[in-house]
Amino acid sequence: MSEPYKNNLRHCGIIRNFMGYMAFLAIHLLISGPVMAQERTVSGTITDSETGMPLLGVNIIIKGTSTGTSSDLDGNYTITGISPGDILTYSFMGYESRDIPFDANTTIDVSLTPATNELEEMVVVGYGRQKKRNVTGSVVSVGSEEIAQSNLQDPVSVLQGRAAGVQVTSNSGAPGGGMTIRVRGNSSLNSGNDPLFVVDGVPIESNSLSSLNGTENFGLNPLADINPDDIESIEILKDAASTAIYGSRAANGVVMITTKRGAEGKAQVNLNVHTGISQITRKLSVLNASQYRELILDSYRNMDNPEEPYWTVIDSLNPRNTGDVDWQDELLRTASQYKIDLAVRGGAENVKYSWSSSFLNQDGIILNSNYKRVTTRLNVDFDISDRLRAGQSIAYTNTNNNRINAGGTGNLSVIRELLVRPPSYAMYLPDGSLNGYMVGRRNPVGIALYATHQNKSNRIIGNEYLEYDIMDGLTFRSNLNLDFTAMKEDDFMPSILDYREGYNTGAVRSTNNITWGNENYLKFDRNFGEKHSLNALAGFSFQNWQYERTGLDGMFFPSDNIRTLNGAGTISNQEVNITTEHSMLSYFGRVSYDYMGKYLAEVNIRADGSSRFGKDKRFGYFPSASVGWRFSEEKFLENLDFLSDAKLRFSVGNTGNEAIGNYTSQGEFMVGSNYLDYSGASPSVMPNSGLTWETTTQYNAGLDVSLWRNRLIFNADFYIKDTRDLLYNVPIPRTTGFSYITQNIGRIQNKGIEFLVSSRNLTGDFSWNTNFNISANRNKVKELPEDLLTNGYIQNGTYHILKEGLPIGTFYGWKFDGVYARDEDNVNGVTNGAMGREFQGGDPIWNDLNGDHIINEDDRQIIGNAEPDFFGGITNDFSYKNFTLSVFFQFSVGNEIYSEINHQRNSVVRYNNLSTDALGRWREQGDITDFPRPVRDDPMQSDSRVQSRWVEDGSYIKLKNVHFRYSFPSRIINKIGIHKLDAYITATNLITWTKYTGFDPDVNSYSGLRAGVDEGSYPQSRTLILGLNFGL
Amino acid sequence: MKNIKKLFIGCILAAITGSCADSILDKEPVSSFPAQGFYKNASDAQAGVYGIYDAMQSAFRINFSLWGEGRADAVDTNNSGDALALHQNTLTPIISSASWNNLYEVISRANYAIKYVPQVFDGESTLKDQLLGQAHALRAIAYFYAVRVWGDVPLITEPYESAEQELFISATDREIILDQVVDDLIFASENCAENYGGERDRILVTRGGANGFLTQVYMWRGEYDMVVESAQKVLDNPLYSLVPINNWSDIFTTGFSGESIFEVGYNEIQTNSMRVLYALGSDSYYFPSESFRNSFENGDRRKSLIYDTTQVTPRKIWKFFGEGFNDESPDPSENNIVLLRLADIVLLKAEAHARLGQTDTALELLNSIRNRAGLPALDPEDAEAQYSGVEAAILHERAIELSFEGHRWFDLVRTGSAIEVMQPVNGLNSEANFLWPIHEDALNRNPNLEQNEFYR
Repeated sequence: MSEPYKNNLRHCGIIRNFMGYMAFLAIHLLISGPVMAQERTVSGTITDSETGMPLLGVNIIIKGTSTGTSSDLDGNYTITGISPGDILTYSFMGYESRDIPFDANTTIDVSLTPATNELEEMVVVGYGRQKKRNVTGSVVSVGSEEIAQSNLQDPVSVLQGRAAGVQVTSNSGAPGGGMTIRVRGNSSLNSGNDPLFVVDGVPIESNSLSSLNGTENFGLNPLADINPDDIESIEILKDAASTAIYGSRAANGVVMITTKRGAEGKAQVNLNVHTGISQITRKLSVLNASQYRELILDSYRNMDNPEEPYWTVIDSLNPRNTGDVDWQDELLRTASQYKIDLAVRGGAENVKYSWSSSFLNQDGIILNSNYKRVTTRLNVDFDISDRLRAGQSIAYTNTNNNRINAGGTGNLSVIRELLVRPPSYAMYLPDGSLNGYMVGRRNPVGIALYATHQNKSNRIIGNEYLEYDIMDGLTFRSNLNLDFTAMKEDDFMPSILDYREGYNTGAVRSTNNITWGNENYLKFDRNFGEKHSLNALAGFSFQNWQYERTGLDGMFFPSDNIRTLNGAGTISNQEVNITTEHSMLSYFGRVSYDYMGKYLAEVNIRADGSSRFGKDKRFGYFPSASVGWRFSEEKFLENLDFLSDAKLRFSVGNTGNEAIGNYTSQGEFMVGSNYLDYSGASPSVMPNSGLTWETTTQYNAGLDVSLWRNRLIFNADFYIKDTRDLLYNVPIPRTTGFSYITQNIGRIQNKGIEFLVSSRNLTGDFSWNTNFNISANRNKVKELPEDLLTNGYIQNGTYHILKEGLPIGTFYGWKFDGVYARDEDNVNGVTNGAMGREFQGGDPIWNDLNGDHIINEDDRQIIGNAEPDFFGGITNDFSYKNFTLSVFFQFSVGNEIYSEINHQRNSVVRYNNLSTDALGRWREQGDITDFPRPVRDDPMQSDSRVQSRWVEDGSYIKLKNVHFRYSFPSRIINKIGIHKLDAYITATNLITWTKYTGFDPDVNSYSGLRAGVDEGSYPQSRTLILGLNFGL
Repeated sequence: MKNIKKLFIGCILAAITGSCADSILDKEPVSSFPAQGFYKNASDAQAGVYGIYDAMQSAFRINFSLWGEGRADAVDTNNSGDALALHQNTLTPIISSASWNNLYEVISRANYAIKYVPQVFDGESTLKDQLLGQAHALRAIAYFYAVRVWGDVPLITEPYESAEQELFISATDREIILDQVVDDLIFASENCAENYGGERDRILVTRGGANGFLTQVYMWRGEYDMVVESAQKVLDNPLYSLVPINNWSDIFTTGFSGESIFEVGYNEIQTNSMRVLYALGSDSYYFPSESFRNSFENGDRRKSLIYDTTQVTPRKIWKFFGEGFNDESPDPSENNIVLLRLADIVLLKAEAHARLGQTDTALELLNSIRNRAGLPALDPEDAEAQYSGVEAAILHERAIELSFEGHRWFDLVRTGSAIEVMQPVNGLNSEANFLWPIHEDALNRNPNLEQNEFYR
């Protein structure tokens, strides 16, 4: 059987019998030939050595000939044409092969031992595959079985908790919503921290292309265009040895996605259908209308000069203001989803094919949010001649996403609105029409029902290759790759959600993004004698990226029913049209050498030239070297029977990051600085022709140990990643007319450890496997240029600072030490600023860092850090006969969350509602509480300071995934003409243990460096899926 | 197969020698211009100058009020941010009105235009002169505000085009900057168009506009003869006339009035913060102070046009939205912001005459404004009796007529009455405190800058 076929079935112990049957058929088809009667016949039964169960489809071949057969349903076989002295080879996928000489005994019963062949697996690396046992870099894999069990709809979510060293956080719980993935930490300041994604050799666009994202700080997840059901394996390349071959795009790691391919044999048809429901994981408590009114009146009373309350606060008779609404009940729902996957895979001698299609229809838990995705993929491989092969992988994805604006702190964010919108606002007016707009805010139910926020995209990812064997061991390969996305976005805000008659706004964006490239390389793979094995690669490539966006904003549409821009009364913005281009020319090579499988060495180099950099700085060189020592092969350890395999690995190398604007080094003069209707232009980017790459030097040391015939496998990695010449927008005096100039400055270090333990606890009828991984990364800003530092640090957005010696996600603000119970408790007469008034009973106690009794900027301090101490996951797989159960826990410990949403729902901001925590507020002298008195337009800025009160422990353990499956016995289902029938239940996000008080601790409202902020993203959901998987 | 081999080897050689690397890797911007490649022809020059006005929109969208009214006596506030700090005279280097970024954006764009506009025209051209005139005028307006708000500031008259230029410029004496401002405005008054036709006469700088700003600058410097001279040019300009009181609100609500000399244009897309400043009732940045409300003379027809006189404690400023306006949505506004209008020039001229001892001319001009408001003319005795002097009467008239338009604080400083008026309100007692602090961010970015003395 071919290698891909083996991989295909790597973990599928449970369907072994079925596959065996397929192989049985295939072999019968292929190799049954005329029987030579004069020779002898051997027969026997083949069983599993551990269970004693008969094995179907074991391949039996007379060594050195093409004569062979395979075992039947009861494990019986008969082979003819054998002569004494011949050797019979019994091989079966997933088992160790056995050679048995024929010595005239006509019955040979054989028991095969299941191969714990983890180390014989191949892993995908840059421009090729390697035996896992020979890998000297640091690579982690997630296989198709884990992907299938997770029942998630995008490949990034699948990696969460399953791959050591890979941290995945959710930007949004919306279907198709954004994810943040970090391989071994943040290594760049300018937010180019995403790994390179390569699908079947195609480097794909992994940044969100959507441009109408409302108030969200992130876009959609472009990886959701890939159907996880199509994926054979995901490999994450982490250290320099494995990534340097991708040079200037590899500093943040490389994620290699390999899709399923066909194997020789009869077509296998697979139909997988599931349906499911989702609910919010947790609702949050808000005040009801009377509690709300009381609180707001309190906030008026607490003003220095009390004002007359606004009518919405006191007038509970006005029909627009008679509500008592918990907006969560109005907007959240139990959402349904279903998915159908159909795949046909197979092949003949010279052609192998894999065709698959899927349809997903997923409702979001917020009213009216919906995601539909159609994918289809065709992977074909041809053998044109003995030496020439060709093939393609091509996938098409169509998505239609009805989005809901659910991020950021603006009034248009539905999530924020469902927590802070006054409960007294009526949903409907007495005449039954929607109460669409009140006091500056739109009805969120109205937004969900009547506004348009739609994203439609069509994407093609394709790869075509030609492979030619020039001579034995030397192969030439040429790839042509393409990733094309055509996206259309439509926004519309109808006038029923505005107070102005006929005031509606619309926007349209159409985006074409194309990256294409050509790679040509020679591969050399040869053994010299018994001991030396040499493997080499040399090639060059060209890659080009083009991005085009056209669009218009309009307003004053005569009717809310015509939402296309031809209906706009006024075109308000056309400055969104943009075309940019970028290209790269590269040369790369690799040599690896292996002495008796004992001493391993590898060298990689890549030279990248990028159009983004100034002429003299264009080319960067990225070398790496690694060595491995399989000490288990040494004589002195030969006697340690329990030690099956052990290897030490070391690697060092450089990788780069070129993630800056396409034209930053040249400077830019932008159009669109218009004055009324007159077109204007202005300088926008200051040129710096000296720009060059960020360079990351990474050191990696690893240990792989396998014990008791691979019953227990242990991997450990330790790394140090030093990034220098950071591309950073260095602030310069604004008197220049520019706010920054992009320069290469500073250093960041990431270091960490990763452990992975894989154990087969029980084998036999009842089997139990455990996979556990845990990683810890420590990020540190090592060096920032002195003239950049404000009081020794750089403010990074609202909540974070960058400072030498501290990690990137450090929160900085005032420390909240409780609430003054009475005026006298402020014994030192601490004042708000040098000239402000003294803090009184009910005001927060701010930590007076410098002890000057004045609370000002100088009292700000570190109040938290978004970096987890450690994170990981543990999976337990149980199987008994036809039952399989997989239980997956995922955890992140020690990370803190700056809960901006909790700030929003615990502060007096205009007429916002508050959480029920506010019921415990300070009301009168002597009250001991940690909830300050509410003050309208508070001169003491009690709530609006960036403060520790909103920093919470974001640690969590999640019962992330439970998958239970029953495989119907083949003797039953064979009768109805199918080969396989599995029924399964998958539950996702079943239980979360956390102290965090927001919706969910797995949250990250900014996709860039501003980690760990919860501004009220689309909440996570708990999902229950029921499915059936048919093999026809 | 041999041929294929040759082809492959050929490809590889071509790539390795890098013969085409440069052409592959040279990518110029498609939808914008490389920094040095923008100014090519007359329409580019025109676009470059409109780009300066674009920066003016940002510079004045809220600051016209924070700078000109926030620290003066006509406004009161419940707000917690900038508005409160200014009102209570607790200015800190982090308040947003202490930031000069938008003004230097104006200056930077003007410097680009002043350098590059001449290069796209062959020889003499009226358009070239008009564009250069406007660029000079806008640069002058920006520096004039900068000097009044921060005192000494960096003087930059060349565009930044490379990282090698000196980035860290220290402050220049305010008088030298004002000399530059005067030079620029004189250049503008000679090169801008007399008029551009239609509404553009109000939203672009004309010769009249340049003379109007010149009048303000001379008054700030106390050069009264020059005030009279430049103001006269404005008064003689047929573009400008006082509108009747019935249309007085239109100056602000609809804009483009005959009284307007220069207003920063806004529309439904390019918006400003007028509503947030004045329309949100007690949540507004500002509402009229009690002393302001009590300073109206009886029978002043402007009173109910300026604020909501129907409330017990008036909280709404109606001047920019129209009488009776009652919508508290904090949405962006599209009103033009009138920086310069005829009534201002008339009163400045009156004041200059008064200071030159030409009381009759002064009163004549003052009374033209008073009469329009339905108030009786003042004679020197009335002025003395009611306001203890003609100059004080003019100052009071400015406080009412130009209320909330961004003049009051500068008038108080200019006439030396800031401490007298504001000490009872917020304890202001030092001339050094008249200036704003330089924003912390500007200091952090430039080690060669020093904080203004009062705030060190």
